[in-house]
Amino acid sequence: MRIFVAFLSIVVLLAASVASAADQVVASTLDNGLRVLLLEDHRSPIVSFQVWYRVGSRDELRGATGIAHFLEHLMFKGTPTRGPKQFARLVEENGGQDNAFTSQDVTSYYVDIAADKIDLVIDLEADRMQNLLLDPKEIASEREVVIEERRTRTEDDPGGFLGEEVGSIAFKAHPYGFPIIGWMEDIKRVTPAEIRAFYKTYYVPNNAIVVAAGDFKTQSVLEKIQKTFGRIPKGKTPPPVLAVEPPQNGERRVIVTKEAELPVVYMAWHVPNHRSNDAPALEVLSTILSGGRASRLYRDLVYQRQLALEAGGDYSYFALDPNLFWFWATPMPGQKPETLEAELAKHMERLKTEPVTDEELARAKNQIESSFVFQEDSVHRRASLLARFELIGGYAQKDTFVTKIRAVTAADLTRVANAWFASDRKSVGVLLPKPR
Amino acid sequence: MRPRAARTRVVLAAVAALTGALGAAPAGAAPLAHREVLPNGIVLLVAERPAVPIVAVRVLTRAGAVFDPDDRAGLANLTSAVLTRGTAKRTGPEIDSAIEFVGGSLEAGAGRDSLTVALSVQKRDLALGLDLLSEVVLSPTFPAAEVTRKVAEIQAAIRRSEEDPNTLAIRALSRLVYPDHPYGRPVEGTRESVARLTRDDVVKFYARHARPDATIVAVVGAITVDEARREITARLGSWARPSDPLPSITPPTTAATPREESIKRELTQSTLMFGRRAVRQTDPDYFPLSVASYVLGGGSTSRLYTKVREESGLAYAVYSWVSPARYGAAFAVSAQTRTAEVPKVAALIREELARMTREPVSDRELSLAKQFLIGSFPFRLDTSAKVADFLAAVEDQGLGLDYPERYKERIGRVTARDIQDVAAKYFPPASFSLVTVGEIK
Repeated sequence: MRIFVAFLSIVVLLAASVASAADQVVASTLDNGLRVLLLEDHRSPIVSFQVWYRVGSRDELRGATGIAHFLEHLMFKGTPTRGPKQFARLVEENGGQDNAFTSQDVTSYYVDIAADKIDLVIDLEADRMQNLLLDPKEIASEREVVIEERRTRTEDDPGGFLGEEVGSIAFKAHPYGFPIIGWMEDIKRVTPAEIRAFYKTYYVPNNAIVVAAGDFKTQSVLEKIQKTFGRIPKGKTPPPVLAVEPPQNGERRVIVTKEAELPVVYMAWHVPNHRSNDAPALEVLSTILSGGRASRLYRDLVYQRQLALEAGGDYSYFALDPNLFWFWATPMPGQKPETLEAELAKHMERLKTEPVTDEELARAKNQIESSFVFQEDSVHRRASLLARFELIGGYAQKDTFVTKIRAVTAADLTRVANAWFASDRKSVGVLLPKPR
Repeated sequence: MRPRAARTRVVLAAVAALTGALGAAPAGAAPLAHREVLPNGIVLLVAERPAVPIVAVRVLTRAGAVFDPDDRAGLANLTSAVLTRGTAKRTGPEIDSAIEFVGGSLEAGAGRDSLTVALSVQKRDLALGLDLLSEVVLSPTFPAAEVTRKVAEIQAAIRRSEEDPNTLAIRALSRLVYPDHPYGRPVEGTRESVARLTRDDVVKFYARHARPDATIVAVVGAITVDEARREITARLGSWARPSDPLPSITPPTTAATPREESIKRELTQSTLMFGRRAVRQTDPDYFPLSVASYVLGGGSTSRLYTKVREESGLAYAVYSWVSPARYGAAFAVSAQTRTAEVPKVAALIREELARMTREPVSDRELSLAKQFLIGSFPFRLDTSAKVADFLAAVEDQGLGLDYPERYKERIGRVTARDIQDVAAKYFPPASFSLVTVGEIK
């Protein structure tokens, strides 16, 4: 589930003869503050149209967690001019596919559809940015759906269950400690009035990014966006997230017992995000540890010594606030979770003292760079990638990302390992299977 | 690992495969791909997609789990898992390092009907990628230590997957729907059957089933037909065609008697999965059945989604799908709901199945389903990897490269009457087996 990133300049660089994929992004900001990024790609008669709101579980308050995700569900429940089932119906009968997701930082909606239907999608998205019904009856029935979703993803999933526990002990001040789907008690309690207020606050054009990639004419799409989204009044600037996680003073640990077949081990350290000069090195570090079968954790723990069924590490380069660097391992039957915890920690200690090899470093960089090229193949991914970079300060950052990755040295990796992975500042979670 | 985001709806990766998703290219469009048969019997399919400098290659050979001996379930899967773990020239770790150094990937996997080796690589690294691919296909050594390793890993993975109610339900349902056929066994085998597998089994299985005249090579991306023919012939042209006849499988004959099974687990939700035998793409019923399944439980406007999720808030996930394969097909309906509501959801699903047999679908439902199935097609083929998977599957299933056109035409002709007719055949609730996983009393 790593988010890798694609882009244009790389393609130009690597294959200057390839013209059609290397189109230009046209970026503009409407008077009401809506950010618009358009990328023509005429390879297939399709378009991916996406609206990204700068709101996620990070913007929630204790006692009302899960509200961003709940609202995402309700965005499909109609406006005064288009009833509760109209959105899905109009998209499907035009051969389109739509969905949405909520993360800690962002709520994203997309429709992938035949290029000649883009005007319909623009109408639908502009309508629900401003006119959502939020009918209390629909809220009541959708609440039950969200509760079922939480049961599937968290209550009945050992990995999801443990991840939520570790996240919540790792953060004591910052809302990154809340589960994205929300605590069960909050999902059951949150009122229509609170949801409405949340919608009014965050679903304003000046808090959103519209991004489209595909077979369209930029000028005509931009005009259509101006005529629809452009008429929505600018809202107040949503409140900033002020919470700053204080330094972690000592190890934190949670052990849960649950019906499961195998144990699970999670370890998490607080690390900086993209704003830090250490971020590219952390990205490379994560690839060296867990990018593929030649990576350290796979080769040592899974392959050579067969201590783990799976093992990996994951860094959130794109997080809006400093977040966690996660490690995880599933012990093989007969192996103890404490063994895996010790082995993961040993890998971290080794990175602090011993430089990675030239081959490991080059491989990780090539993997990151190559993943950008592969993402170029899909208009959906091209659009998503522009949005991801826009969210952290500007889509043009994608042009410097690989340069930054290329500049990382073995000494940088040793430095960031020492700077961020103190053995007494981690949060550890262990899931112990309860026999059936 | 830990979930990063929560979604509005379940993304049905497993269901999407080759089910009802094909529409068609615009009229007069270029053919989907170039097709030719190489002298040794390999079917070569090439689609040029020059815009992005990547190439996706699939080598599909008819060495699927359907050929697993009765007491050796999981053999095809184990064979595929060890295939990339050593060749005459390189060890498994050397192969991993070589392909990952250029940011590419080389993976092998087995399904019910076939074993596929998949290569994705940047154009500039194509020669290296094809060298590795052909070594893996032509000269795997199946080292004994690697077989032992993979046996342990697969057993652990099977055990881990038993935490997932959906996987448990699918395994049990396959057994009930195909009681007399290899499709009733899990592709990965069971912990017990995998324990019995030896290196000798693997070597013999691969030697018997992996042969050029049972192999399809799909090459898609920044490459021309001539280049693809040259590169593939240079590496796989020497693969000799054996003289013994191709092994075959008898399709399941008798319809299974509907049965019910409950699997007890300590969970807050229960999973219900209904299933029965159906038909594949070569049967005229397949097309109305695809539309019927879409109306019943296909998208987020379907009858089940509306009744079970939208109106009653009883489930997050509820859907139906047709699952065709080379030797047979199944139709299934699934939902996850809080345990107390299992009887209610089961009754709703049975009622909606029965209603499809009793009354015609509305014009609006019919046109929506047809427009979706036809119109969403381009997104099934929007990357080189997807095109390569599609080409290999269409050829393997014997559907022909004109299948998208035929699909569009056949789906377009489906009437409400046709749907009611296939519903009468395939949707009577009493004809379904049912598996329930959860805190069953």
